[in-house]
Amino acid sequence: MSVQKSRPVARARRRSAMTRECSLLLPRVCAALADPRQPGSDDTCLEKLLDWFRDLTEFDPTVKLVQDNPCLTEFITSVLALPEPSPSILSFTLRLAGILAASENRFQHLQEKLLVRLFGRDGPLNGAVWEDASVRSGWVEGVHSMMHHQPALHFLCNGGGIDVIFTLQGDPSLFVASAASQLLVHMLTLSVESETTKPLSTKDCDWPACAQMIIKRIEDSLQSSSASHIEQSLKLLTSLFGSCRATWTEVLWLGIAKQIESFLTEETVQAQHMLANLLLNMAWSPVFCDTEGNFWALVTSALEHLTPVQAGPLAVGILRLYKCPQDVRIQALTVLLQPMDCILRAASQPLEYAGLLDESVSDPITVESLLSSKSSCASLLCQTLAHLEELLSLIRLPVDLPYTSLLRSLMTILQFCNGFLSPASPLGSTISRILINSFRVQRSALDVLAALSERKGCDTLIGSLFDVLLAYLESPNTSPTVLKKTFQATSKWLVRLQELSCSNSQWQQAEKILEDVFLVLQKRLCSPCWEVRDSSLEFLTVLIKYWRDQDEFRQSLLSSEVPRLTENLLEDPESYVRASAVTAVGHLAFITYFAPESPVIGNQYNKENTVAKLQEILSTDPEGFPRRAVISIFTKWLRQGCTGQLEDTEQFVSRVIQIVEHDLDWEVRLGGLELVEVFCIHTICQLGLPKCPYAPVSSAVTSSIHQNESLQIFCRAKLFSFLFRSLCDCDKPVGQRACHILLVLRGNFYPISPLKDSQEAGDSSAGHGIAWLQRTLKQGSLAQNFPTDGGNGVDFQDPESMMLALGTIDLEELHDELNKSSDHVEKSPQSLLEDILATVGTTEENEADCY
Amino acid sequence: LSFFCLGPGAGQDVGRSCILVSIAGKNVMLDCGMHMGYNDDRRFPDFSYITQNGRLTDFLDCVIISHFHLDHCGALPYFSEMVGYDGPIYMTHPTKAICPILLEDYRKITVDKKGETNFFTSQMIKDCMKKVVAVHLHQTVQVDEELEIKAYYAGHVLGAAMFQIKVGCESVVYTGDYNMTPDRHLGAAWIDKCRPDLLISESTYATTIRDSKRCRERDFLKKVHETVERGGKVLIPVFALGRAQELCILLETFWERMNLKAPIYFSTGLTEKANHYYKLFITWTNQKIRKTFVQRNMFEFKHIKAFDRAFADNPGPMVVFATPGMLHAGQSLQIFRKWAGNEKNMVIMPGYCVQGTVGHKILSGQRKLEMEGRQILEVKMQVEYMSFSAHADAKGIMQLIRQAEPRNVLLVHGEAKKMEFLKQKIEQEFHVSCYMPANGETTTIFTNPSIPVDISLGLLKRETAIGLLPDVKKPKLMHGTLIMKDNSFRLVSPEQALKELGLAEHQLRFTCRVHIQDPRKEHETVLRVYNHLKGILKDYSVQHLPDGSITVESILIQATAHSEDQGTKVLLVSWTYQDEELGSYLTSLLKKGLPQSTS
Repeated sequence: MSVQKSRPVARARRRSAMTRECSLLLPRVCAALADPRQPGSDDTCLEKLLDWFRDLTEFDPTVKLVQDNPCLTEFITSVLALPEPSPSILSFTLRLAGILAASENRFQHLQEKLLVRLFGRDGPLNGAVWEDASVRSGWVEGVHSMMHHQPALHFLCNGGGIDVIFTLQGDPSLFVASAASQLLVHMLTLSVESETTKPLSTKDCDWPACAQMIIKRIEDSLQSSSASHIEQSLKLLTSLFGSCRATWTEVLWLGIAKQIESFLTEETVQAQHMLANLLLNMAWSPVFCDTEGNFWALVTSALEHLTPVQAGPLAVGILRLYKCPQDVRIQALTVLLQPMDCILRAASQPLEYAGLLDESVSDPITVESLLSSKSSCASLLCQTLAHLEELLSLIRLPVDLPYTSLLRSLMTILQFCNGFLSPASPLGSTISRILINSFRVQRSALDVLAALSERKGCDTLIGSLFDVLLAYLESPNTSPTVLKKTFQATSKWLVRLQELSCSNSQWQQAEKILEDVFLVLQKRLCSPCWEVRDSSLEFLTVLIKYWRDQDEFRQSLLSSEVPRLTENLLEDPESYVRASAVTAVGHLAFITYFAPESPVIGNQYNKENTVAKLQEILSTDPEGFPRRAVISIFTKWLRQGCTGQLEDTEQFVSRVIQIVEHDLDWEVRLGGLELVEVFCIHTICQLGLPKCPYAPVSSAVTSSIHQNESLQIFCRAKLFSFLFRSLCDCDKPVGQRACHILLVLRGNFYPISPLKDSQEAGDSSAGHGIAWLQRTLKQGSLAQNFPTDGGNGVDFQDPESMMLALGTIDLEELHDELNKSSDHVEKSPQSLLEDILATVGTTEENEADCY
Repeated sequence: LSFFCLGPGAGQDVGRSCILVSIAGKNVMLDCGMHMGYNDDRRFPDFSYITQNGRLTDFLDCVIISHFHLDHCGALPYFSEMVGYDGPIYMTHPTKAICPILLEDYRKITVDKKGETNFFTSQMIKDCMKKVVAVHLHQTVQVDEELEIKAYYAGHVLGAAMFQIKVGCESVVYTGDYNMTPDRHLGAAWIDKCRPDLLISESTYATTIRDSKRCRERDFLKKVHETVERGGKVLIPVFALGRAQELCILLETFWERMNLKAPIYFSTGLTEKANHYYKLFITWTNQKIRKTFVQRNMFEFKHIKAFDRAFADNPGPMVVFATPGMLHAGQSLQIFRKWAGNEKNMVIMPGYCVQGTVGHKILSGQRKLEMEGRQILEVKMQVEYMSFSAHADAKGIMQLIRQAEPRNVLLVHGEAKKMEFLKQKIEQEFHVSCYMPANGETTTIFTNPSIPVDISLGLLKRETAIGLLPDVKKPKLMHGTLIMKDNSFRLVSPEQALKELGLAEHQLRFTCRVHIQDPRKEHETVLRVYNHLKGILKDYSVQHLPDGSITVESILIQATAHSEDQGTKVLLVSWTYQDEELGSYLTSLLKKGLPQSTS
C-alpha cells in the first residue's frame, strides 16, 4: 500500500515538471502575455500559471529554470518596457519575479537587471499604475515570495521598502493591508532568525539592522496618537506572537509592554478591542505563559477592564489552556458565567436565589446594564452562549463548570424567549420583554443545551428540562430553524434519559416523556412546512438508532400514529422529505420486521409491502435523493444481516442491481456497487472459509468447493455484468469502485496471482469473449463507454467464463488508470499553456458571459 | 453606510459575488458566490476578512441571495455548514426551490473528480436550505425590529430579485443580476421610485448595447436546423437550469412551426425537475407565458423527450441537451466523444467555460484534444458559441437608475475599464456620485438620515396655540426638550422632561459688564440709567428696586464704581436664557452710553 500511496505525490511532481513540450510553448505564451495588443488573459489562467512556477521552484534553488528559459527574464523586461502595462499583467509580473527570486541563486541572477526596476523606487510604486489595487497587491505578494534569504532582506531594507510596506498596512484595500502586515511579520522573523549570531536577551539586545528598523516603526506607531497606526501595530504584533514562538519575542515584548498596558486603562485610545486577541495569542505561546507574574497580571487586568463583549473571546481562550494560573482561570470563568448568573438572579425571588457565582467575585452592574438594554442584550447572550458551547464541546475541560446552575440558567433563557416566564423583578421583566421571540438567542441556547447533555451532574432537572423542550416542540410559534435545534437537543437529552433509566430501572418517567414526544411528532409530521417534516423524520431516525433495543420505546412508538404517518411521507411532494422518510422507514423496519422478538401483531406492518414500496421508489422516483436513500437503506439492512436467508438475499440483490444499473444518478449506481460489495463479502463469509476475503486460504479442497458455490451465486445474481459494465461508467467513482470489488473477488478466487494471457486462456469459446472484453475495457474505461450492443459473446452468467475473466484481465492496470484524477489532463501545465495560446487572437466576449 | 466586496482577490473580476454592506449598524451579506475557475480554496470567498475576532453569526444580521446562479449562491452551504454561519438567509421562493438543484448538480460534478475534499455534502446542502427564509415579491420582511428587506422582480433568471435593505430611513438597493428587457420566458426588471441612499448595480455589460436577442435566437435556430437537415446530431451541453429552459422553449416552438420530426432529448432527470419548477412558479415568468398558460403550458414539451444512454448510438439526426455545461465530465463529455469525429455534427456551447475544460478548449479553437491515456481526440464537428445570458446593458442600467432615483450608485461585477465609462455617464446624467471599488476595498458613504421624533401632545397643543396651524409646506420652528431613550426620540415640553426624569431645573443666566464714563455717585448713575431705559422701553416693566438695582422683566442691572478709576462706572447686566433677545438688546443699548441731557 505504501508504494501506492507515494505514487500520487510523485505523479503530481511529474505533472508540474517542465517538460520539453512546455518549454517549447512557454516562449510563445510569454510573448503573448507581454503583447499589449492582446486582450487580457483570464485571471484564473494567470493564477494557475503562478501556481505552476511555485511548484517548479519550490524544491529547486538553482538557476536552471531561468537559464534554460530565457523567455522568462525577457518577459519581465518587456513588460517593464511597456509605456502603459495593464495592471493585471504588471501584477502578474511582480508576483512571477518574486517567485523566481525566492532562491538566493536566482535572486542574484535576476538582481542587477530587473528586481530594482520592479520593486525599487523607480518601479511601479511611483507610477500611475500604483493606484490600481491589483498592482499594489502584486508588489506585496512578490516581495513576500522573494523574502527567503538575507540578500532579499537587505535589498528591500536598503531601498526604502520598509516604509512602503508600513504605508500599505493602511491601504484602502483590505487584501493589500492584510498582506502587508503579514509580510512585515515574515520579514521581522526572517531578519532576527537569519541575522543574529548570538541569542538576544533583555540586557544585550542587539537587533539586526532590518529588524531594528521594523521594531522602531512599531514602537513609534504605538506611541503615536493615531488610532489607525496603533491598531495596525497591534494587529502586526498579534500575528507575530501567533506565528512565532521564539524567545526573542519576549525581548521585543518587554520594550513595548508598558505602552500596551496603558491602552487598557487609557480611554482616549480606542485600542481595547484589539488587546484581547493579542493577549490570547501570547497566552498560547510558551514564551509568555511560562513566565511568572507580569504577563498573567496583565491578562487579569484585561479581563477586568475590557467590556464583557471584548473580554469574552479572551476568557474562552484562557479557559482552553491547560497551563494557566488558577486565579486567572477563575477570573476568566467569571467573565463567561456572569451573564448566565445575572439571568438566574433576574428570574428568582431574592431569597431563593442560588446563583452561579460567589458574590465576592461578581460585579454584576455592567452586565446587568448590558442585559437590560435592547441593543446589547441578545448579542451579549449569544456571544456568551457560543463561548460556553465551545467550552463544552472540548473533550477534556481544564475547569469544572457548575453544570446544574448552568442548565437552570439555560432553561430560564429559553422560557424568557417563549414567554413562559415573566418574573416580577424589574430586571427580570426587562430582560424577558427583550428576549421574547428572539430566534437568535433560542438557537444559541439550544446549541449549548445539546452540548450540556454529555456532561454528567444535572440529572435532577431532567424532568423540568423536558417540560421546556416539549413546550418548544409543541408551540406553533417555534420557527423551523429553532425547531430543528430543539429536536437535536431533545434527542441528545433522550439518550441521557435512557442511560439514567437503565441505571436506576425507572422507566415511568421516560415512558411518559416518550409518549409526549410521539404526540408532538405526530403533529409535526403533518406540518405544511417541508423543513419541519424533514427535521421530524431525521429526529425519528436518530431516536430509533439509540433506543431501538428498549421494549418501552418500541411499545410507545408502535402504539402511536408515527409509523403510519412516516410511511405516508414516502409520497411527499418534496424530495428531501421522501428521502428522509425512506431512511426513517428503513430504521423502523429494525423494530418491526427485523427485531428478534418483534412486538408487531397482525399484518399492519408488512415487510413485503415496505420492500416493494422502497423498490418502487428506487425505480421510479424522479429525483436522486430518495433513490440514494433507498439504496443506502438496503445496504444497511444487508450489512446487519436483515434480508433473510441467502436465497432471498440473492434474489433481492439481483433485483436491486437490475434497477440501479440504468439509474441516471451515478451516486445511486455507486450505492448499488456498495450493496454488491457487502453481499459478496457476506456470501463468502457465510459459505465458510476463508472468513475474510483477505485471509489466507487454509484448505484448498474445502475452499474450492465454497468458491465454486459463491461464484455460482454471483453469476446467478448477475453481479458480473453489472461490475464489468461499471468499469466503463462515464462517472469515474463508479468505475473505481467496480474495479476495487473485482480485485477483491479475484483475491478470493485466485489467492495466488493468476494473470494468464487471454490468448493462452484456451481456445474455448469463452476465451474469445474474454479477449474481446479485455480489449473493450482497456479502451472503454478510458472512453467511458461500454458498447451498448452487449457482451459480444461474453456470458456474464457463466461461472467458468467469469473465472477466466477474473484471471485474465489486468485489473491492476485498470485500477491505476481509473485512479487518475479525471481532470488530470485538464490540470496539466501543458494544457494550461495551450489554452492561453489558443485564446490569443480571439477577442470574443466569451468570458463575460458568466454562467 | 459602508460597502465591502469579498471578490476573488484585488482588482475587479468577473467571478463571484459576495458583498458586505453595513447600514446604520446592521451588517448584511449580499450573495455568497463561488468561483468555478478554481478547484481549491480560492473557489470560495475568504470569510475571515469579514471579522477578525468574533463569530460570523454574531456579526452578520442576515444573508441575502439574489438568484440561483452559482456565482451568487455557490458558497452558501460552505458558509453556513462548514464556516459555521447560523443566522437567517433570505431568498425568493423560486430561488429557494431551484438553488439546491444547482448546488447538488455542481457537488456531483465536483466530487466526481478524484481527490476533491473540503467540499460540501448533499446533507449540508439540505441543512443549509432549511435555514433559508423564502420571501415573496414586494413583501416587506422584518429581519429584526430595525432591519427590513423587500424583493423586486429582476428578470435575468427565474426567481431573480433585487433587494431593498432598509434601516430606519437609510436604504440600499442591491440589484444582483438583472435584465431590463423581457425575454422569451421572463419579464423585465422593475423597481419603484424608492430613492435609496445607495444603488449597488451589476455592470457585466456596462458598455455594450447588446444586439437584439431575436437575431441571436434566429441564428441559433438556423444552425440547429441546418445540422439536423443534413442528418447531423446537435449536442448542447447545459447546466441543469436556466439557459436550458429558454433553449427548450425556443426549439419546441420552432419544431412545432416547422413541423420537424428529428427527436430532441434531455439527458438528465434534473432538468425535468427544473421544468417542474418553471411550471410551479409560472407567476414569475413573463406575461406571454402566463397568458397562454391556460391553453397550453409552455413547459410541457411535446417534442422534447428523456434521453437514454443507448440513444447516442442511434443513426440519424437528433438534438441532445446534456449536463454538465462545460464538457468536463459525465454524460455531456461522453456524448461529445462519440460525436466529435463527424463533421456533420455540431456542438453548441451556450455558456461560460472554465480554463482547462474541454468546453473551454474547443471554444478557443483547439481541434486536437489530449484525452485520458494519451489518446488524441480529433474534433471535426462544428463548434458554436451562443450567448443568451440576460444582463442589463448600459442602457438598461441607466433606465434602472432613472426608475429608482438613488442618491449614490455603486457598480460591481464588471470590468474596470468598461465601468469607468459608465460611471462618467451616470455622474453626468444624474448628478449623483458613482463608485466602483476594487474587491477588498471599503467604500464609505455618508448619509443625512432624518430621524423621526415623537412630539408630546401637550407640547404640540401649546405650540399650535401660539402660532398658526401646522402647514406641511412651511417648516416651523418648535422648542422643546429631546429625550433619547431605548432607541426612540421624543420631543416634550421642558416641564414634562423635568418631571419624567425627576430633575430640578437649572437657571442659566448671562452676565455682561458695560463701562460708562460718569463721574457721579453710583446711585445717581443708576437713576440716570433707569430714566433712560424707562424712556426707551415703554412696553416693558422697568423697575428701580430699593437695593439700588434696576430690573427690566427678568433682566437685572447693578452699578459699581471702577476700582481704579472713579470716573468710570461698571454696569453689571444679567439676564436669563429666555430673555436672551431683550438682554442682548439692552446691553447694546447701554454700550452706546447715556444721553448727555437727562440730568
